[in-house]
Amino acid sequence: MNPLPTRNSQLVLRRAGFGSVPEMLDYAAQGETGVTFYSVRGEILSASSWREIRDRAHVTARRLIGAGFARGERILITADTWPGFFDAFFGAQYAGLLPVPVSVPVGIGGKDAYLDQLRRQLAASGAVAAVGIEDLAGFLADASAEFPAVRLHGGMSVIDALPEKPVDLRPLGPSDLCYIQFSSGSTRHPHGVQITQAALMANLGGITGPAGLGVVPGDRAVSWLPLYHDMGLIGFLMAPLSTQISLDYLTPRDFARRPMQWLNLISRNRGTIAYSPSFGYDLATRRAASQVPADLDLSSWRHAGIGGDMIRPDVLDRFAEAFDKNGFNRKAFIPSYGMAEVCLAITFSPHGAGVRTDTMATDDGRRTRRFVLCGKVLPGHRLEVRDEAGKVLGDREVGRIFVAGPSIMPGYFGEPEASQEVLLDGWLDTGDLGYTLAGEVVVTGRAKDLIIVNGRNIWPQDIEWAIETRRVVKNGDSVAFSVDGGDGEGGGERVVVAVLARVSGEEGRKTLASDVAQAVREAIAVDCDVVLVPPTMGLPTTSSGKLSRARAKANYLAGLYAPSTGADKTAAA
Amino acid sequence: MRTAHELTVENDGIADTLTLTRGVSRAEVIREICVHLEPYQTGEKPIAGDTVIAKDLTIDSLAIMDMVMELEDRFDVSIPMSVVAEIHTVDQLADTIRDLRAQS
Repeated sequence: MNPLPTRNSQLVLRRAGFGSVPEMLDYAAQGETGVTFYSVRGEILSASSWREIRDRAHVTARRLIGAGFARGERILITADTWPGFFDAFFGAQYAGLLPVPVSVPVGIGGKDAYLDQLRRQLAASGAVAAVGIEDLAGFLADASAEFPAVRLHGGMSVIDALPEKPVDLRPLGPSDLCYIQFSSGSTRHPHGVQITQAALMANLGGITGPAGLGVVPGDRAVSWLPLYHDMGLIGFLMAPLSTQISLDYLTPRDFARRPMQWLNLISRNRGTIAYSPSFGYDLATRRAASQVPADLDLSSWRHAGIGGDMIRPDVLDRFAEAFDKNGFNRKAFIPSYGMAEVCLAITFSPHGAGVRTDTMATDDGRRTRRFVLCGKVLPGHRLEVRDEAGKVLGDREVGRIFVAGPSIMPGYFGEPEASQEVLLDGWLDTGDLGYTLAGEVVVTGRAKDLIIVNGRNIWPQDIEWAIETRRVVKNGDSVAFSVDGGDGEGGGERVVVAVLARVSGEEGRKTLASDVAQAVREAIAVDCDVVLVPPTMGLPTTSSGKLSRARAKANYLAGLYAPSTGADKTAAA
Repeated sequence: MRTAHELTVENDGIADTLTLTRGVSRAEVIREICVHLEPYQTGEKPIAGDTVIAKDLTIDSLAIMDMVMELEDRFDVSIPMSVVAEIHTVDQLADTIRDLRAQS
């Protein structure tokens, strides 16, 4: 099998400007480019041109319509990186159904937490079908059991088994929704961002246009990013599709296992566009350093994007140094900023500028830190930094970042109150803190308590809830927050859980700390430092009696909480 | 000319040999898991079959993923993600690997 060609022989490259996903797939289907899936060993698992993807989607759509699914109904899809996702996602687009892409389970012992997550997503989206890879058919059945509305569930074989009826397609159009993106809100109260066709088309115009990546004939995208994340689904499926370029995939698991394969694919296929959160560059540098093939050639990589977490300039410096001898151009780095509520992207750094930083004092005022300039807001959009009173701030004044423009979501699915909290007069409150500098945005942190570890959004209440539901401690006895791990190795965000130690003796304290750590690992698949707080000290609360994560964090940073001993990793000062 | 009976016996022999090269003892799998887990052992309690990997040891989730991947490579099996999600103890991990090897 050969990878699909980089260029179309006849079809003229069109940069977005379509009315809907079905319309852009119809256009791309006139060429020869498409998607190639690779194994962890770098072998081609399968390759499908956009034309084949379109043809299979038509078959899937006729099966779904024939089975009686109504226009506008939701279909939950486990968004693993495999051709079946394309069949289900694009099939739904031509059948007038709204896909709800969701994650796959991570780590060992995570079954119960994953089933909980599926149930909440089924409830929040009101899905009528739930499909995925065959391996997850049992989990989909378990989660769907409580939902009589779910009429079809299982692996993709359950769709393939439906008869293909001679019905007309009913593709989603420019005024319709496109899909529902779960990447906002906690697992406990998930918010599904409504991605409309119009907002997606507007954002794709920005991403692929001159202020974004400026896609040209000869570009080729390479990605390991998960398709249940906005950066994977829009950045590395919709954007390449909207410009009819070819795309090479590695699964997120295989990237974690062999980060070199990502770089090998760029080298072999002369990839030009690839993105990762900072942690991916870190992983590639640390794990790949000893196994770089002599002939690795990264000189074709013209846009090495960074997004999805706080951008860490030290990590990018190390990556650029490590791969300088392989032709990597550090000026290819494109720091970018965005969130699912604007589809994906809102700012891009200028081409050829690389990583530019500005130095400011950190939140606690004790150190300075380099922050990355993320570029100007996309054409047709606006960005403001405001203070608590809503006043627009000037350069280098830190406040909340607000954005407006055609990429903004209409709201969360079925959640008018949650939508009103973040949408006001056409402006979106991003929940991020930052400042402007000569028209560019610099992101410094978050106003919300949200924790981001390795590109994953984690809500502290989910961590606390996991500990409480396993009856490790009672409600209100644990508080989770993240601290800045600093520059250097092991940097990024570190999760800390402070728990009231209502136990006595060294053994009891050890057991409590390890029980907390296990509950968090199994439910959230993230590691944490556990600190035990004497009941006499108590956990800090707000004036209204709610736990204050911000004050618990301040206490922790001030050294008021002793790290737990023994079984758990001690918290580094 | 061989009789059908003899052929059957011979085929069974081949099947046995194949099972033997492919099969692996439980002790061997547990030994290999322990090699990965020993750096994370804490306190006096030795690593045993009922050790809960995410709880009784100081191993972090990325290292657990690494270990599972290395065991997959070492024993030439691929553990489906639905099965990984149900593993808690060393015994469960060892049995999963042994069963997958026997099936393949």
